[in-house]
Parts: sequence; structure tokens; C-alpha cells
Amino acid sequence: MDFELTDEQKVWKETIIKFSRQELAYDIAAVEKSGEFPWDAWRKCAEMQILAMPFAEEYGGCGVDFLTTVHSLNSLGYACKDAGLVHALTTQILCGLQIALFGNEALKLRYLPSLCRGEKVFAQAITEPGSGSDALSMRTKAEKQGEAFILNGSKTFITNGPMADVVIVFAVTAPEKKTLGGISCLVVEDGMEGFSKGKPLEKMGLTTLQNGELFFDNCEVSCDRLLGKEGQGAIIFNESMEWERSLLPAVHLGTMERILEISVKYAKERSAFGKAIGNYQAVANKISRMKMNIELGKGILYRCASLKGRNKRAPLDASICKLFISESLKQACLDAVQIHGGYGFMCEYEIERDLRDSIASTIYSGTSELQHNIIARFMGL
Amino acid sequence: MPTREKIRQFIMNELVADGSGSELSDTVLLIDSGVIDSLGIMSLLGFLEENFSIQISGEDLVPDNFATISTISDFVAQKSL
Ligand SMILES: Cc1cc2nc3c(=O)[nH]c(=O)nc-3n(C[C@H](O)[C@H](O)[C@H](O)COP(=O)(O)OP(=O)(O)OC[C@H]3O[C@@H](n4cnc5c(N)ncnc54)[C@H](O)[C@@H]3O)c2cc1C
Repeated sequence: MDFELTDEQKVWKETIIKFSRQELAYDIAAVEKSGEFPWDAWRKCAEMQILAMPFAEEYGGCGVDFLTTVHSLNSLGYACKDAGLVHALTTQILCGLQIALFGNEALKLRYLPSLCRGEKVFAQAITEPGSGSDALSMRTKAEKQGEAFILNGSKTFITNGPMADVVIVFAVTAPEKKTLGGISCLVVEDGMEGFSKGKPLEKMGLTTLQNGELFFDNCEVSCDRLLGKEGQGAIIFNESMEWERSLLPAVHLGTMERILEISVKYAKERSAFGKAIGNYQAVANKISRMKMNIELGKGILYRCASLKGRNKRAPLDASICKLFISESLKQACLDAVQIHGGYGFMCEYEIERDLRDSIASTIYSGTSELQHNIIARFMGL
Repeated sequence: MPTREKIRQFIMNELVADGSGSELSDTVLLIDSGVIDSLGIMSLLGFLEENFSIQISGEDLVPDNFATISTISDFVAQKSL
């Protein structure tokens, strides 16, 4: 596979980097303290059409191929230091992909244009207080009564949840069936009776991102809000994970590239015992490991993105991609803090924030342990 | 090897927990009996696409199509038309 950047990809990348440096260079610490979501930045990203990239033009999208979308989000992860904002944007795109891939025409026409314009905020709700990794053992139920499902249960940790206008909810529709046929996906809107949202949960990182609980108490959802077919939920979940495990790592790889640049600069400028610290192998090795992981990460990321862009199956590649890049990011952030010594631990240098943010990347979208399990299953274990 | 046998062999070798297991008839309910779980279906889909040069997406991705060896081979035959 040839992954030389096309002219279009170069333009998107350069434009997004320039845009991020000009428009998204706000004081993140101040936003973190305020507890508010950076709406202004969200709107600017929507105007830049970042949310619209991979969607067909007839639904308000840009019709850009998936690999180009991946390259663009990679640039956003590189140039925008607010990982919470970038995660919120990526989640919105992932919800759109679910609707584009599995929604009927009416759902696509109803939701994709406002998703692309960022006018409505989207979330996907799978995790529950009692089930995360074992997502398909969920308890939230949707019982069919006539032309509607009656939804009962709760979800937690949901990205964009507290501010969501539209939520893709996974629920059990046929408890007697094994998970593969027993789960369905429903599109729920804010304001529907029986649906309520909790306050944003306090977190160690990704502070500007809003995550929270969602509650469904006899919430009536009409059957035309079914995403895909009844019983297709577990398969939609699997399919979505392949896209998600290609798109989120694109952002993480971008962040790693920024961390590498900062670390190289510091290792050249800071001296100890009469030499720049980069001259010491113990420091240089940390930096060479970052570089190595970035280059290896690019290989698996572009392969995944290219497979998904051609509508090919990539469950194994996507798990490897997610696992390798998220663990590499966490390691790179730890190393960057160490390279910066005491300054790395102080908030001023902003690396401690990258480290706090990076921890979540090995938890959401399937923990690292779960990715190992998936890879092992594909090896016949 | 006929389609049905290829599929049976794949399921026996890759998805049945203890490998060597007993015979798997055409009508055994693979999902309901736990032979195909949420990870197993990913392997099966990859196998079907690769070996029978078909693409499985959207509305085809419903559990009913993968319920038994019989329904899987009917589905493959119909996709290969
Ligand atoms: C920032 C953030 C954003 C999120 N956004 C969303 C969202 O938008 N929508 C959503 O639905 N969810 C979301 N989540 C939830 C996330 O997907 C879950 O937290 C994750 O899947 C893990 O589930 P859990 O927290 O219940 O941990 P558990 O499943 O309880 O796992 C606890 C520990 O046990 C390990 N473990 C569990 N099972 C196994 C096993 N079989 N083998 C080996 N180890 C195992 C895990 O790896 C982990 O280390 C988000 C989480 C975070 C942190």
C-alpha cells in the first residue's frame, strides 16, 4: 500500500494545523477551571467543516474519503492541545458514521445535516454502571409495545452525554436471545419524556470533555427510530468499533508527534553537567522510542484507515492499531514529563495535562486488556 | 470442497471452543448455542468475505443470516449470484 499524501490530504492537513494554531490556541487551563465546554471552539471547528468531512454531500457532508479524514484528525490531535475538545468532535463524527452506515434514509436526512453543522451534539451510549468491557451484558431494556419501544435503564461515562441533543442508545430488545441477536440500537432525542441526563462527571484528564450518566425511565421511542434492524445492535457495535479504533488513534498519533517535537526541543536546550541533556543516552533513548512508535503507529493506522475507506473488514488491525497507539501515547507522555524534570510536573509546560489526558486512551473504546483478548482470539487462542 | 463443508470446517476449527468437538449439523443454532459469539462473528465475516469474494455490510449484517451452517451457505450462495 502506498501512503504518500495526496495533494488534497496535504491541503487538509496544512489548513487544520494553521486553523488550530490561530483559532484553538485558547487558555485551556482557564476553560478547565470554568467547567464549561469550549462551545466557541466547537462552533469554529464546525465552520471549518471538520465534523462534516467523511459524510456524503447530499447529507451536508464534504464527501472526503476516510483516509483523508484520518489524516485531518491526526493534524487536529497534533495542533490542538485541548484533547477534550478533539475527543468530543471525534465522538460526533463516529456517531455520524453509525447513522450513515446503518440508518435508513429518513434518519440520515433528519440527523446528518445538523451533525455536520455541529448544531446538534451527538453521543453513543453503550457502557452501564454494571457493564463496560463486557458491554453486551448490558441491562438497559427496550420492550416493544405496538409501534414503540419502552426504554428503561441507565448508561454511564457517556462522552458528550450531559450536553447531548441526540443519543444512539444500545439496549436489550430480546433478552431470551444470545447477545448477538438480542440487542438493538435506538436514536433518542433530548426532550423525549422519560429521558434525562446527569451532570458532567469530574475526571482526572480530558477535563473540557463532558462525560455523564443518562437515564431512561419508561422512555417511549417509536420504532422508526431504530438504527439498523431489530437485533442488529451487537453487530453495529462491532462494526462501529472498527471505525472508532482507526479514528481515535489518528488523534493520539498527532498528539504523540507534538510531544516528540516538544521533547526534542527541550532535550537540545536544557543542559546539565555541561552538556545538553539530549546527549545522554538515557534521555535520547526515550526520544528515539517515541519516534519509533510514531513511525510504527503510522503504518498500522494508515493500513486500517485505508481498509475501512474501501469498506473492508479490519477488526484485528483496528485492535492492534488502538492498542499500540494508545499505549505508545501514554508512554510518550510519561517520558516527556520525565525528560522535562520538575518543569514537566508543573502545569505551566502543559505536558502534565497531556499525560492526564492520555490515560483515558487505554480505557475508552475497549481497554488495552480487551484489545489483547481480541487479538488473541484472532490467533485462535 | 463445497461451500457448506468449507464453512463447517472453518467453524469447527476456529470457533468451536474445544476444537476437535463432535459433528456440527447443518441446522444446529450456532448463535443460540454459543458457538458464534460477538467476537466469533467478526472472524466468520472475515472468512466469508475472503474465501467467497463477497462483501457483507449494512442490512446483510443481521444475526438471522448466520444462525446455522445452512443459512450461512444459503446467504453466501445468494451473495455470490
Ligand atoms: C473518557 C472516557 C470516555 C468514554 N466515553 C464513552 C462513550 O462515549 N460511550 C460509552 O458507552 N462508554 C464510554 N466510556 C466507557 C468506556 O468504554 C469503559 O470505561 C470501558 O469500556 C471499560 O469499562 P469499565 O469502565 O466498566 O471497566 P471494566 O470493564 O469493569 O474493567 C475493569 C478492568 O478489568 C479489565 N478487564 C475486564 N474484563 C477483562 C477481561 N476479560 N480480560 C482482561 N481484563 C479485563 C479491564 O481491562 C480493566 O482494566 C468512556 C470512558 C472514558 C474513560
